[in-house]
Amino acid sequence: MALTSGAWFAFLAAVFLLYWPASRVRALSLALVLFANYFFYARWDLRYLALIPAASTIDFLIALALERSTRSGVRRLLVGASLAMNLGLIAAMKTVAPGGLVFPLSLSFYAFQALTYTLDVYRGDAKPTASLLAHLAAVSFFPTTLSGPITRVSVLLPQLDRRGHSLAPEEGGRALFLIGLGLVKKLAIADYLGANLVDRVFDFPNLYTAAEVLMGVFAYAFQLYYDFSGYTDVAIGSALLLGVKLPPNFQRPYAATSLPEFWRRWHISFSNWLRDYLYFSLPGLRSKSKIVPALNLVITMALGGLWHGLSWNFLTWGLLHGFGLAVTRRWQSTRPKATAPAPAWIRFLCALATFLYVSLAWVFFRAADMNAAWAILTRIASLTVSFANISGPLALVLGLGVAAHHLPRAWYERGLRFYQARPFYVQGAALAGLVLALEYVASTGAAPFIYTRF
Amino acid sequence: MLPAKPTLAILTALACLQLVHLRAGRRNWDVIASAFDLTPRRPPEIAPPDPVIPEVRRGDSVLRLLQPDTLDRFYEALDRTERKEPGAVTRILHYGDSPTTADLITADVRDLLQRRFGDAGHGFILADQPWAWYTHRGVDVRGDRWKIAPATQSSLRDGMYGLGGVSFEGPAGATSRFSLAARGHTSVEVAFLLRPDGGTFTVSADDRVLQTVDTAAATAAPGFASIPIPAATRRISIEVERGDARLFGASLTKPATGVVYSSLGLNGGYVSVLARIFAEKHWREQLRHYRPHLVIINYGTNESVYDKFVDFAYEKEMKEILRRLRVALPDTPILIMSPMDRGERQGSGEIGTPPALVRLVGLQEKVARENACAFFNTFQAMGGAGTMARWYQSSPRLVGADYLHPMPAGAKQIGTMLFRAIMDGYHQHKLHRMRENLSQIGGGR
Repeated sequence: MALTSGAWFAFLAAVFLLYWPASRVRALSLALVLFANYFFYARWDLRYLALIPAASTIDFLIALALERSTRSGVRRLLVGASLAMNLGLIAAMKTVAPGGLVFPLSLSFYAFQALTYTLDVYRGDAKPTASLLAHLAAVSFFPTTLSGPITRVSVLLPQLDRRGHSLAPEEGGRALFLIGLGLVKKLAIADYLGANLVDRVFDFPNLYTAAEVLMGVFAYAFQLYYDFSGYTDVAIGSALLLGVKLPPNFQRPYAATSLPEFWRRWHISFSNWLRDYLYFSLPGLRSKSKIVPALNLVITMALGGLWHGLSWNFLTWGLLHGFGLAVTRRWQSTRPKATAPAPAWIRFLCALATFLYVSLAWVFFRAADMNAAWAILTRIASLTVSFANISGPLALVLGLGVAAHHLPRAWYERGLRFYQARPFYVQGAALAGLVLALEYVASTGAAPFIYTRF
Repeated sequence: MLPAKPTLAILTALACLQLVHLRAGRRNWDVIASAFDLTPRRPPEIAPPDPVIPEVRRGDSVLRLLQPDTLDRFYEALDRTERKEPGAVTRILHYGDSPTTADLITADVRDLLQRRFGDAGHGFILADQPWAWYTHRGVDVRGDRWKIAPATQSSLRDGMYGLGGVSFEGPAGATSRFSLAARGHTSVEVAFLLRPDGGTFTVSADDRVLQTVDTAAATAAPGFASIPIPAATRRISIEVERGDARLFGASLTKPATGVVYSSLGLNGGYVSVLARIFAEKHWREQLRHYRPHLVIINYGTNESVYDKFVDFAYEKEMKEILRRLRVALPDTPILIMSPMDRGERQGSGEIGTPPALVRLVGLQEKVARENACAFFNTFQAMGGAGTMARWYQSSPRLVGADYLHPMPAGAKQIGTMLFRAIMDGYHQHKLHRMRENLSQIGGGR
């Protein structure tokens, strides 16, 4: 059940209509969310109905045991068991399930979310809940199941484990606005760029000039952004309809003026997870050495790359980001702290350089293998120029995508406030009109979200 | 309780969608039902292409050549090659568009034929890469300082593009380097243009200069320099030594009996290139020099989106190619190979086949019937209209995202189909010969 499908919205509408009347009774609302969570997993594969409750219950018990135990050896053993189970779950889902059958859905995002619970309790950053029902409902919260945003269970628990709350009209308007925006990002921009340029260029780079291949690489950068941030908008909007606020995942990443800033704007929940639970866990954090923190950055990003898939491509992507981050941090640490913002043209050049570096790394992320990545880069190096394969509509969509990405935040907020202030029938009709327009534009049906395969 | 405004907004949206869909004759109940359907998820119901390429069997006319008996002379040459008669080399020229340019399909047919009948060499290869897409399996070519004129750009007034359709003119220092994946070639024949004020070029094998060739002559005419090379050669270089030289390419051969299958692809190629842009006399001289036993004409993909060209010009252009070939090579059989299916997004969003492509394939069959040519209906053999949609949706994909160029696995399917169709005709030919011989023996008694 993809988040752009009619089935998803029928399901979401049903959950919405049942949830709010049930929200007056705490246990009933939690039970409804839990039912929705497991129903969502069951729609992919019934075997998840055994796996997810079992894994979540074990984490619940581990957290209670961690709270009670004071012996560091036992605590380490407990948290180690949670780590082994959840990482094992990721590994198992990415390979082959018992009986030789492949699971349709990776549980990476579930496992990352589940680990925030036991690791936070282990570190004393969060208290365990005494309610198994609340834990089960929070840890597998269905809007975050496919591709995040990875949300700390300690953030979800208080939002779900309550009663008598309500959804303000502004929040409801924001939710519908986000859902509409996400659909536009995914269906009108990401899928269009993917089908009409990116896939073609990455299939046969030698059929295109260097300029066209370069445009294909840039288009991929925007395809991935609009695909993933479109998904995130729908997920955040869907959760908000149930009164749950999920953390933001993207903040105009290609406007970043450095690589560290890029990672504060791109897939924020994942980079925060890597920082909080992996980077801070590596030895040498308090070391005075200048090498160790840099090395830890490289290791963290390399592992982050390998999480996407065990291939040289993803390793190279992770290493490029790791080295880039380490070098930038080192360079920034040698410079005096700026007292005033840099001139606009310097910020522009920095943003351009960051975007080019990130795009270089995306070549390895997107290419089928290292040979294909090399073919893309050598084709770009040929410096041939022609735009014969770039149609007018394609250039328009790419241009709109670039422009929309760089729109000031205030414009977005203004659009949101405008929508929120409209009466319900305008909001509803606008959403329906958008869906119908997208049905016409993307009549082939949406391509799968890129990140759901991770 | 239900939050009023969001609930009403959602209900309004649902009502609007329902209303519009009902007016369009669609029902949304299926969508709602599918949301609550717990039957195990399966991949979309797309019939994947059969990974096993079907064998040609009795009744599978779609996998067979049409009029295979027109290829008798080719099959006789193939028979001599199979019997390893001294010097029995069967030469095939395959003209095609972009898939042929990348040696897709042709490399697979070459490989299969050479495994069956012996490897007599790679055949013809251009002097440089006119397009980055130009690649040949087993031979890598790189050039430098050439002024490249492909026939598809119709840039030369004299229309002299050699056998392969591309002319390379270079000053002193212009070079072509051929890297051979395997040893065994013992001869390289360089094709060039003899002309007044023609320069000289050298030919080297593994950095050892073997011969200097003078391209000067009183009048313009095709020139060929056949140079023996050591069998262990891995690198062949051609370098313009003095003045300007105009080259077309090189042909690589081995001393064994076997098949030489020359892949002559032109990116963006279409029938008019052979029918109009190639100077007839020059092409005739080239063809006569190479003495092929079979010429395959494999155009149509690029033309298939131009309805008027298909309906009003295509047949005429195909007939002109056949006329030119018959004048040049009166005894050489011709095989017309139809284009593959081609996908394009329809108004409905589905990937469909351009209607003109179906008409074009029909015209090719008609021309083949009327002109005693064999015909291989690649389009039907691979599954007909809509095949590229299935190929695109199969995993792994068999066609690129342009729904046009096959991925290597897709090209291999087509190559294998063509090979099997040729072999089916060959077996029929041998059977027929055997029956004739038996009846002669019977009649003699």
